[in-house]
Amino acid sequence: MDFDLTDEQATIRRAVAELAAKFDDQYWADKDAAHEFPTEFYRAFADGGWLGITIPEEYGGHGFGITEASLLLEEVAASGGGMNAASSMHLSIFGMHPVIVHGSDELKRENLPRIVTGDLHVCFGVTEPGAGLDTTRITTFARRDGSDYIINGRKVWISKALESEKILLLTRTTRFEDVSRKTEGLTLFLTDLDRDHVDIRPIRKMGRNAVSSNELFIDDLRVPAAHRVGEEGQGFRYILDGLNPERMLIAAEALGLGRAALRRAVRYGNEREVFGRPIGKNQGLQFPLADSLARLDAAELALRKATWLYDHGRPCAREANTAKYLCADAAFQAADRALQTHGGMGYAEEYHVARYFREARLLRIAPLSQEMVLNYLGEHVLGLPRSY
Amino acid sequence: MQWSLSEEQSAYRQALRDWLGDVAPTEAVRGWLDAADHTTFTKRFVADGFWGVGVAEDLGGQGGGLVELALTAEELGRHAAPSASWLATLLAVPALAAAPAARAEVLAGAGAALLVAAESIVPGPVPVTVDDAGRVSGTVPRVLAGGEARFLVVPARGAAGMTLRLVEATDPGVRLARRELLDRSRSVADVVLSDAASEPLAVAAGEVLAQAANRAAVLVAADSLGATERMLELAVAYSGQRRQFGVPIGSFQAVKHAAATIMVGVEAARSVIYLAAASVHGGDPRAVLHAAAAKAQVTAEGARAADTALTLHGAIGYTWEHDLHLFYKRAKLDEWLFGSPTAWNEVLADALALA
Ligand SMILES: Cc1cc2nc3c(=O)[nH]c(=O)nc-3n(C[C@H](O)[C@H](O)[C@H](O)COP(=O)(O)OP(=O)(O)OC[C@H]3O[C@@H](n4cnc5c(N)ncnc54)[C@H](O)[C@@H]3O)c2cc1C
Repeated sequence: MDFDLTDEQATIRRAVAELAAKFDDQYWADKDAAHEFPTEFYRAFADGGWLGITIPEEYGGHGFGITEASLLLEEVAASGGGMNAASSMHLSIFGMHPVIVHGSDELKRENLPRIVTGDLHVCFGVTEPGAGLDTTRITTFARRDGSDYIINGRKVWISKALESEKILLLTRTTRFEDVSRKTEGLTLFLTDLDRDHVDIRPIRKMGRNAVSSNELFIDDLRVPAAHRVGEEGQGFRYILDGLNPERMLIAAEALGLGRAALRRAVRYGNEREVFGRPIGKNQGLQFPLADSLARLDAAELALRKATWLYDHGRPCAREANTAKYLCADAAFQAADRALQTHGGMGYAEEYHVARYFREARLLRIAPLSQEMVLNYLGEHVLGLPRSY
Repeated sequence: MQWSLSEEQSAYRQALRDWLGDVAPTEAVRGWLDAADHTTFTKRFVADGFWGVGVAEDLGGQGGGLVELALTAEELGRHAAPSASWLATLLAVPALAAAPAARAEVLAGAGAALLVAAESIVPGPVPVTVDDAGRVSGTVPRVLAGGEARFLVVPARGAAGMTLRLVEATDPGVRLARRELLDRSRSVADVVLSDAASEPLAVAAGEVLAQAANRAAVLVAADSLGATERMLELAVAYSGQRRQFGVPIGSFQAVKHAAATIMVGVEAARSVIYLAAASVHGGDPRAVLHAAAAKAQVTAEGARAADTALTLHGAIGYTWEHDLHLFYKRAKLDEWLFGSPTAWNEVLADALALA
């Protein structure tokens, strides 16, 4: 066994941390308060060549694995940028996976190099008002019309749609009622978010406000067949391919956020004096923080193992789910304790832990709830009957 | 809203606590448990007039109701007294409302037991059948104080559906097999009935059993509360005496907070138990919810508190010499006795109209 990062990985980690450190907590607090996309930050990472970390070299990327991508997103979140920072680039880092694996050469040539340069912003449209975790229940429909498709439907929660030129859009081309297996009849497109046919309305939400999440009303959106990813009817399978790495990246973001929160808590625990001594001297404060450290460290190990398995082409669903579960919980707990450590000041935006807290809460819900992780482990790993 | 014990109730509690302090200090309790002797305690409890408390006067008791019984259970738990027979009897007495002769004997100390597996919410599965001649057959495992009762109140299935039957434990058709419990302050026995003679009990079986389930929930919760309070006292006293790193371990915040958490549980337990006792006694339509909340919350918390108290004692708590284990085991059995927290939470969930 070998717990060391490779030299290359260590370098990536250090370089990302240095670059991200140029954007301090105040930057993120301001962006969050103004509901403003972190353009300068995003640009810095695009210019540094980081957005193409997993994109194949022939399209201008670096062709690295999930381990490197997870280190990148972890450090980005850990810088204090949290989920605002991570979400601003999340889709660029790995979201093109279905296109890379299943897309046509033309689709790849047209889009991937622009992802790498940062010129192309993309969002991911799966969730619908009537279909949350139960993805196959989506009803947004792509009807064939000559060489095109005409798409109608509604999406919800689509992050970054406001800022995006294109959308990776999951639709049905055969209705749920008409397929023999519910996972069939779904088709994936990478296409333009034509504002004349897609009405985008931001949702007011609890946190991560520098990156919007939106409701999409899609009305007769015409899409050429060339924008289809892979074959018609196979979209669900393509998305499924990317779920494990997606879980790992979310886990990495959670882990980074938890580290940021813990760092703030420790700093405050050492600085703040009450009853004539630093509050961190109280076991009632010190132990929860020490406990969070242990939990974050344990979660990190689960994550490293998961990305290692994936990069070695081994089965990793159990580890990916476990990593997501442990990292999301450890991060939320760390953020909650950081807030408590700050007392009343934790509730003030000034100390940033309130922002971390709001963002950490999200990771227990989206993109996959903790309950669904347990469903997966219970059913597919333990072999218990499917509960739903 | 204000709810507090009446002057008589407070005086009763004090009298009982004093009495238990004299009669059942832990040295005496240890002696009885080592000898597997539960009858000496029961006899004194009867002789000194505590047995009929909480039974209405028109039934031959000394008056009072479930609140008085809960006070009694709490004090018995606090002393880890061998009180299975008392609890079993008090749960069976309402079924004897129309059987004056048996009831008189029972209240004079003979003891009765409801034939129900001790871990189930009353009545649990009903494995006993009754034939046309009134003979009952079937095996009921783990009956609380099943080996200490003169009369058995038996839920039985027959031509008329489920009814309650009265069987004398001395009947040749009754066989008893005692079982050992980890908590030696209570006892259970498997009861095997083979064509035992029985008399009908002219009460509404369903109602009496439903009420018994609620009463059992409240009284076991109260027992758990008493044991928990005692463990808290022991833990606090010990953490004041035991010194490490040059200071009493009680000066460590983590130790203080652990004890304070038990205290929070104790206070919450008292509130819910006495509300539930009054509610079940008064026939409040939500009584079952109160009883379920009490049993599920209090006994689960009691079991957790037992673990915390053990932690606070360090290795000494793990020994047989120290008294802690008497109460630790008491609280652990209370968690399971007459329905686990999970089972009672199911009762609550059903009542909440969740899908
Ligand atoms: C800030 C934010 C950004 C998002 N960004 C995007 C995005 O960019 N693109 C996109 O497509 N989506 C996005 N989402 C949506 C996100 O993926 C969904 O919210 C998530 O999948 C949960 O779906 P839901 O909200 O409809 O919950 P539901 O499916 O309605 O579930 C509600 C609750 O029921 C529980 N539950 C459901 N089924 C089961 C079961 N079988 N067993 C046990 N419990 C169950 C869930 O765990 C949850 O607690 C975003 C959401 C948020 C909040």
